[in-house]
Amino acid sequence: MTLKCYEHCCSSCIALVNVGKTEGIIPILHGPQACTFGNQIGSMFCRPSRLLTVGTTLHKSEVIFGGEENLRQQIINVYHQYNPKIILVISTCVPQLIGEDVSGVLTELREELPDLKLAYCQTGFNHHFATPRGSDVSWTAVIEVLDPQDKVENSVGLMGRAGQDADSLGVLTSFIREAGITTYAFPAGHLDEMAKIVKAEFLCPIQLVPYQTCKALQNRFDSKIEYIELPVGFQGTSNFLRGVAELTSSQKLKDVVTREETRVLPRFEKIKEEFHKKKTKVLLVTGPSNEISIAKILAEFGAEVLVVPSMRNAFAKQEQALLKARYKDRFRVREDDFDTVLQLVDEFCPDVVFCDFQARVEVTPRLIPVLINENYLNEYGYDYALDFGENFFENLKTPVFNEWQSMMDQYAGGSHVTE
Amino acid sequence: MSQNKDKGKKDSSHLKHTRQMTMKEIHKPSSFEGAVWAVVGIKDARIVFHSPPGCYMMQHMNLLCGEQGGDMYCTQISYANVMMGTEDALEKILLKVAAEKPKVLIIVTSPVIEITGDDVEGIANKIGIEQTIIIRPPIGMTLAEGKEKAFLGLLSLMTKGEKRVEKNVNILGPTYETFNWRADVFELKRMLACIGINVNAVLTADSTVEEIMHAPRAALNVCVYPYDCGRETAVEMEKRFNIPFVANHIPIGFRETAAWLDEIAGLLKVDAATYLSEEIKSGLDFASGLLVSNTLFESSAAICTDNCDSYSVGISSFLSREMGMEICMAAVGTEKAAEQVRKVCDAVMVNPVIDEKKEMFLDKAPTIILGNYYDLKLSTDLGFKNFLMADIPHIGYVFSENRPFMGFMGAKNLVESITNEIYMKIFIETKGEMEGAISAGEVDWALDAERALTRIAEMLPHFVRSIAIKKIHQVADDMAIERNSGVTLKILQEVTRKYTPTRFKGKYATLFADMEEISSDAPSPEPFQFIMDWDEDAKDILEMVPEEFQAKAVEGTEVYARQQGQDRVTVELVKAYQKELGF
Repeated sequence: MTLKCYEHCCSSCIALVNVGKTEGIIPILHGPQACTFGNQIGSMFCRPSRLLTVGTTLHKSEVIFGGEENLRQQIINVYHQYNPKIILVISTCVPQLIGEDVSGVLTELREELPDLKLAYCQTGFNHHFATPRGSDVSWTAVIEVLDPQDKVENSVGLMGRAGQDADSLGVLTSFIREAGITTYAFPAGHLDEMAKIVKAEFLCPIQLVPYQTCKALQNRFDSKIEYIELPVGFQGTSNFLRGVAELTSSQKLKDVVTREETRVLPRFEKIKEEFHKKKTKVLLVTGPSNEISIAKILAEFGAEVLVVPSMRNAFAKQEQALLKARYKDRFRVREDDFDTVLQLVDEFCPDVVFCDFQARVEVTPRLIPVLINENYLNEYGYDYALDFGENFFENLKTPVFNEWQSMMDQYAGGSHVTE
Repeated sequence: MSQNKDKGKKDSSHLKHTRQMTMKEIHKPSSFEGAVWAVVGIKDARIVFHSPPGCYMMQHMNLLCGEQGGDMYCTQISYANVMMGTEDALEKILLKVAAEKPKVLIIVTSPVIEITGDDVEGIANKIGIEQTIIIRPPIGMTLAEGKEKAFLGLLSLMTKGEKRVEKNVNILGPTYETFNWRADVFELKRMLACIGINVNAVLTADSTVEEIMHAPRAALNVCVYPYDCGRETAVEMEKRFNIPFVANHIPIGFRETAAWLDEIAGLLKVDAATYLSEEIKSGLDFASGLLVSNTLFESSAAICTDNCDSYSVGISSFLSREMGMEICMAAVGTEKAAEQVRKVCDAVMVNPVIDEKKEMFLDKAPTIILGNYYDLKLSTDLGFKNFLMADIPHIGYVFSENRPFMGFMGAKNLVESITNEIYMKIFIETKGEMEGAISAGEVDWALDAERALTRIAEMLPHFVRSIAIKKIHQVADDMAIERNSGVTLKILQEVTRKYTPTRFKGKYATLFADMEEISSDAPSPEPFQFIMDWDEDAKDILEMVPEEFQAKAVEGTEVYARQQGQDRVTVELVKAYQKELGF
């Protein structure tokens, strides 16, 4: 157990922003005001529109006597005001703790509001996979209320991670569509589009997160889950797309992949040369499950990586095994307990750290470049990796760190680390 | 006159020796402003501007739009005065001034007087005010030269043989209308006080006659605008009063401020080590804060402080070396400053005209622009949203002691202002309406548009990438729905022209130019023709289909239409066919 949680945010917050990025679904945060406020503010960075959180803001009396009526009223209010297709109740720690009968409220309301689909997920206690689990549990809840549609033979559903993936899946879908394969992207910005995922014959996860979501789709709609590998970097993207080509027997997609490889390979080779010249050690600590993707890209370039993973589901195990076999000692995973990230920094001596805010404050006094995982999303495909690799060393801003070190040496006794 | 001889001729050869006037001369103050601003800041001196009333009014009014005060009289000379000599007008005014018994009278002559060459000195002698200084800024000299000339004129006030006071310095350079001087001087005094050094006199902003007279008491002269003014005066004071001076560092940024203080402390034998250590540690804590480095490491700045070269040199070095910003362009007033700024910036312009700046803004697409009123107007017109006022002219701008650019507090203020400006503007720009729709509906994207969006993503800094892409995606969807089509490359291009997280306009342009080039290099797609009648908006949907598939799409749609018993292809029919195909 670490001394603090190094993840990005509570699973309630991620569930909130996740469905808060899909038109047609409105989330209601069922919890006390501290919870509503914290998650509202925390979610503001990435919510595009409809910026206010609907919540129940439970009072003490409701904790004692039950907040069901408040929840019921809020659902009715939201339904009449916005007329959404789905309302997702995000039940936070307190309602779970007092054993509120949320599903009972929803059952009653389903009869009262037959046009409305009511979904429900529990969040808050998901330590220590909070950030990605918030995505998975909220998607799973939505899947549970989707209507069946006819399957389209040989079609592929790309299963992303969270709301922001909705706008970045084009890097993969454009190739698959070019090959004439019917493709569905999940998530999408609009519920009508997203709901088509139930038509996909094959579900191909592009992230480690949507494990429960895929299982729910498999159980309800008989979809076939095909985990290939994370489509990031050169090899990962090619292998993923070739895997899809195999599934759908598409020679055209294989040709597209070959064309793309020819396009990008010289640039990848140059990046590898640069990493070969500048031996680099990178520590990546519990991102929104992109720590593995970024580590995978860096390992392919030639860096030595140590990853503290945020996901330990079956997809994560499969990907880790693959990467360990591919990159041997250069790809290490740390799942043992540790107290602080600084402790890992002392052990591993990285040149750069990818982490979240809580770890950053420990590491920056050492004047080691620290990059925030949350800023490195949308990591799929060839071009992301090229852009990432070609600008990697420049983005570290080593001369700036050297400048500050020199100032510290000259005026402040060299070190700013509190021992 | 030759002018008359050539009248009516279309030939413009008579203009060959004339100078082409450029906009740069309009927005740059001259030596006259320099001289007036330098002396009007001496609170208890009586200033007489020997000029026509219009010249006075504009000088005084412009001054008061930026300063808390500053008074001066005027001789209000007329055309008749000029014809007959302006001496009488000057004499009348000086007689009134003499009755006030001023501590010092400073006469600044205007360009008209420089042309008439009137005997200002003779009239001043005749009136006989004991302390009278006459400053005659020559036409064609710069703002900085005008200030310097005024400073040099003030040397005659200074008392010889003053007893030197240890740990006392003069600050040379700040004048009224120097951008942000009040806050900068406040911060410089604060820092010097922290290491036990007192400021004896400031030449000249908010100073008194007494302070200037006793300026030779200082143990050291400190030039804080070494690329603008004060240096020549410091050299002269060294000659006349044996006061050493420093002009090696501009106290902007943590590094240079520390070096500036360290040098002064060394010369005055003061121990500044503890204070500097605290400030540098505090600076590092501040600079390494999450939002600061996240935002600035991937942002670029245009430094357009071309009326204050010391700012240009100091700010560009600070933001680049210590804060990791890219200085993508700079405008300076002299080649000497340009040489320094080029160490951190590849695109330095010396006295650019407005059009040159405009082109450079569009080419470099800075995340933030630091400049004057004209830069603000230009950048706003061009769609750049992040701006920090950092230079004159500002037309009207309120400032006090609070937000320096110089010193340790100045370094923090600059970073605060720039980071907040960039971050908050981009943050707000990527949001839709408070209760607005998240997505307008399901929209098809053409393959090339989908790929272009991924390339646009690469141009966005990581701190804003995913939210900015979401916004662009959403706006493109909306536009396509409005036009009853899918998102085409053309629509995406239009979106990026209209909606852009400020700096990326220029970069987007290169992307679409590249894509057009690629598409013109590609083999021509199979030609197609419409056999049936197509509605125009149904034809528009074809734009979503990659060109190589368009012929097949037309053929397939028409087969489907016939199967459906239709003789015309409508949008509804195309959509029904797409649904049939599983799109």
